[in-house]
Amino acid sequence: MNPPVFYILLALAEREMHGLGIADWVEAKTEGAVELGPGTLYRSLKEMLEAGLIREAAPPERDADPRRKYYAITAEGRRRVSEEAARLERLVEVARGVKLLPRRA
Amino acid sequence: MPRAELHARLFRLFLRAYPRPFREIYGAEMTRFFLDRLARARDAGGRGAVLRQWARAAADVAKTAAAERWGGRVRRTEPMKGREFMTSMLQDVRYAARRLRRTPLFTSFAIAILGVGIGLNAAVFNLVDTVLFRPSPFADPAEIVHIYQDSDDGEPSSTSFPAYREMAELTGIFAGVAATSPDKATWEDTDGPRPVSVEYATASYFPVLGLRPYRGRWFDTAHDRVGAELVAVVSYRTWRTRMGADPGVIGSTIRLNNQAVTIIGIGPKEFNGEAGALATDFWLSISSAPVGGPFRVANLDRRQDHWYLVKARLAPGVSVERARAAMDVLAQRLAEEYPELNEGRGITVFAHDEVRIHPEFDGGLFTAGMGVLVVAGLVLLLACSNLANLLLARGISRGPELAVRQALGSGRMQVARLLLVEALLLAGLGGAAGLGLAAWSVQLIPLLPLSVAWAGLDVGFDHRVVVFGVLLALATGLLSGLLPALRSARTDVAVALRDEGRGQSAGRGASLVRRGLVALQVAVSLVLVIGAGLLTRSLANAQRVAPGVDADRIALVETDLQRGGVSDAEVAVVAAQILERVEALPGVERAALTNRLPVQSGWTSTHVVEGYDPPSGTGSVELPVAIVSRGYFEAMGIPVLAGRTFTADDRPDAPPVIVVNETAARRFWGGDWARGRIRPEGAEGAWRRVVGVVGDVKVIDLREPPTPMIYYSAEQMPPAGFAVVARTSGDPATLLGTLRSTLRDVRPSLPVTRLATLDTHIGGALARLRAVTALLGGFSLLAMLLAGLGVYATVSFAVERRTREMGIRLVMGAAPARVAWMVVRESLTVVAAGVVAGLALATLAVRGVQTMLFGVGSMDGVTFAGASALLLAATGIAALLPARRAARADPVEALKSR
Repeated sequence: MNPPVFYILLALAEREMHGLGIADWVEAKTEGAVELGPGTLYRSLKEMLEAGLIREAAPPERDADPRRKYYAITAEGRRRVSEEAARLERLVEVARGVKLLPRRA
Repeated sequence: MPRAELHARLFRLFLRAYPRPFREIYGAEMTRFFLDRLARARDAGGRGAVLRQWARAAADVAKTAAAERWGGRVRRTEPMKGREFMTSMLQDVRYAARRLRRTPLFTSFAIAILGVGIGLNAAVFNLVDTVLFRPSPFADPAEIVHIYQDSDDGEPSSTSFPAYREMAELTGIFAGVAATSPDKATWEDTDGPRPVSVEYATASYFPVLGLRPYRGRWFDTAHDRVGAELVAVVSYRTWRTRMGADPGVIGSTIRLNNQAVTIIGIGPKEFNGEAGALATDFWLSISSAPVGGPFRVANLDRRQDHWYLVKARLAPGVSVERARAAMDVLAQRLAEEYPELNEGRGITVFAHDEVRIHPEFDGGLFTAGMGVLVVAGLVLLLACSNLANLLLARGISRGPELAVRQALGSGRMQVARLLLVEALLLAGLGGAAGLGLAAWSVQLIPLLPLSVAWAGLDVGFDHRVVVFGVLLALATGLLSGLLPALRSARTDVAVALRDEGRGQSAGRGASLVRRGLVALQVAVSLVLVIGAGLLTRSLANAQRVAPGVDADRIALVETDLQRGGVSDAEVAVVAAQILERVEALPGVERAALTNRLPVQSGWTSTHVVEGYDPPSGTGSVELPVAIVSRGYFEAMGIPVLAGRTFTADDRPDAPPVIVVNETAARRFWGGDWARGRIRPEGAEGAWRRVVGVVGDVKVIDLREPPTPMIYYSAEQMPPAGFAVVARTSGDPATLLGTLRSTLRDVRPSLPVTRLATLDTHIGGALARLRAVTALLGGFSLLAMLLAGLGVYATVSFAVERRTREMGIRLVMGAAPARVAWMVVRESLTVVAAGVVAGLALATLAVRGVQTMLFGVGSMDGVTFAGASALLLAATGIAALLPARRAARADPVEALKSR
């Protein structure tokens, strides 16, 4: 799974967001290490829509700007992102096994 | 306009890079997104941060817009950093290496071809660079000038030693003037006599050039006159290669031309001799002139002999022009003082950078050097084109793989880069192999059939060659990799996945060029193979020639009594002593002496033959003459055909007699020689009677036609320089050491100028032909290999393209052989065209080797036919390999594999 796709799914797994919100969320969670550029973000969103990993959602009432599109994760998206996370976890375990990472306390 | 609006407009302009539908859906949000980020950047870091944000966004847009337009996936969240780029490059290298390892045959072949091509070029460059381009090792070379007296033809040539003295005595023009004179000498060390290059030099020589000896000291002015001690400075190279780099040589004496010379220093590392690349073994002081013989001593005072090369360092502030004016004045003065010698003889001054070796040769050297470089470059170009062909064929067979890679998200550039990396990797390995080859070739130079002057070529192997080789490898990689890389990158993913690339054949033009190249390679290699074939046959013929002597079991030692300090009056006595002692040696059956060995250039003299009117109309003939002692013909196994040979009765006071060879007897007297008389031209009445006829012996060259020759009696005319030949009962080689010591026993001062068996001596006469044959043979093999590779590549290419078609044919019941033939036939027309062109070219090119041919015409049908057959066979095999593979393929697989 491409990193941008993974990050976007992670963000949407928490709650529905609009594009800028996703980028902010990712930046905050990764402490600025990952910045999604506008092109990367929206192109990924488009492809993920097409692939059925996310869907468009209705904007919440408090948001005044109707032009903003909100996105929500689909069941398929949730399944895929958990799979990916599990795969990464296994990888991390392997890394621990060869003493590349400290064991969890 | 508010600033934010300006940014927004600019960004919207950027968005035009996306396809319209995408822009309509996401454009507005992306703009807002970007403006938000921009505002944040401005708050955080001011103008710099804004610019960075712009740069990042531009890269992001460019990448994703390209992906959106032409397919591919978004992969990266941030721009690739330098380190990441390196990593991905390394990945490419690793991947390419893995692929190359998987096709070891292809890989080793490609490396070998490139290695030879690059190696040849590096070796040639090394040679040419050494001779023509390497920078001067002298201090402040701009101050150095070269001064030449004119030759009789008015060309800058060389200078007499008295004229040098006058240049050196001028004041105010030069800071120093130096004269040197190259010569050859015989150096006797423990291994026996060997020829060396020496250079007589004035004490001013090193100071003028700004050089210092590596160890010890250089000559001082006391060494500038005859009568002072005999001293030498050994060149650094000779010290390293022939004296084992032993610092103890300083102060020791060596024997040059059989005179003891003291070594007082070792030359500088960076300079091994006059004339740039031509290395000197020893520099000798002017006081050592006696080493060169009485004439070299006399020469120091002779204005008519121009033996010296003069270099000078300009005095501070003096221009080359002023030096020229001063030399014009000097030339004028010399013309007035010595009109018979110097009338109209100018003196020319060259700046240092105008002269490489000598004004007379520089032009020719440059042309020759560039010519060789161009030829070597052409060979490399052929190698490149072949590799490109092979990579192209590989690229096509990899079409599906590459398409899959693209579909999986590799950018086009990445795929192209991968192929380029592969080519560069091959070229790099080939370059390494080539440099190894070039380094090794340095050791071959002494084996080349060069004249003595060139045998001392000071060729090292320095960083310049390495740089050249690396650049060459890089260029080779780019040249042979770029075309296939670009082609593969152009591959349309969808089409390639569907058709596996077979739909796309190379353009008609490209294919024509490829065939043309292959035909050219075939033609060139055919020319070379024919040349090598002609020479090989000549060599075989020459080796079968009977030299006219029974060369088994003969040892010989050559000396020069005069140089050994024997007075003219003593020559006959000492020669007789030597002969007597050699004859008494155990294992020696017979011994004799001659001043001229068979198969060797030597003395010819103009004679008048009584009753013979030579076609030249001059009334005289120039005949090779040998002075031989009694028993010479018997010792050498030369048959006596009629009359007698020399006897004890042919004393100096007896009537002078002559023995002639068979050809002379037949040509001059029609065989009726018995009353024949010959006299040297100019010696009226001094007739010499012919007393016998002996068999022909090859005079100068094994390949010469029968040549008339005459023999004088050594008893009647003792020669000062001669070889003692000894017929032995056992292996003649074991006698060589004894022969030398016997000579020394008679007179310790006698130089040994040659020590060998007659077999070796005669074999040496073919050394040049043998070397040229080997060289041309090597080249023709290489060319044939290249041509074969070219054919192999084109056929592989065709096979890859037509696998499916061949599969269909096989399924339809075509015999595999027929299918293979179908592919081979195509390339055979190309080969045939090359052969025809090559044959035509060869009829012209054989003129180049004509003078070296022997017993075979330059239009020898057997050679021409044989070479063509050889080439056809080689290229046929090259074509058959891939064709057979295709024909053997499982037709079902071939069909499925689409």
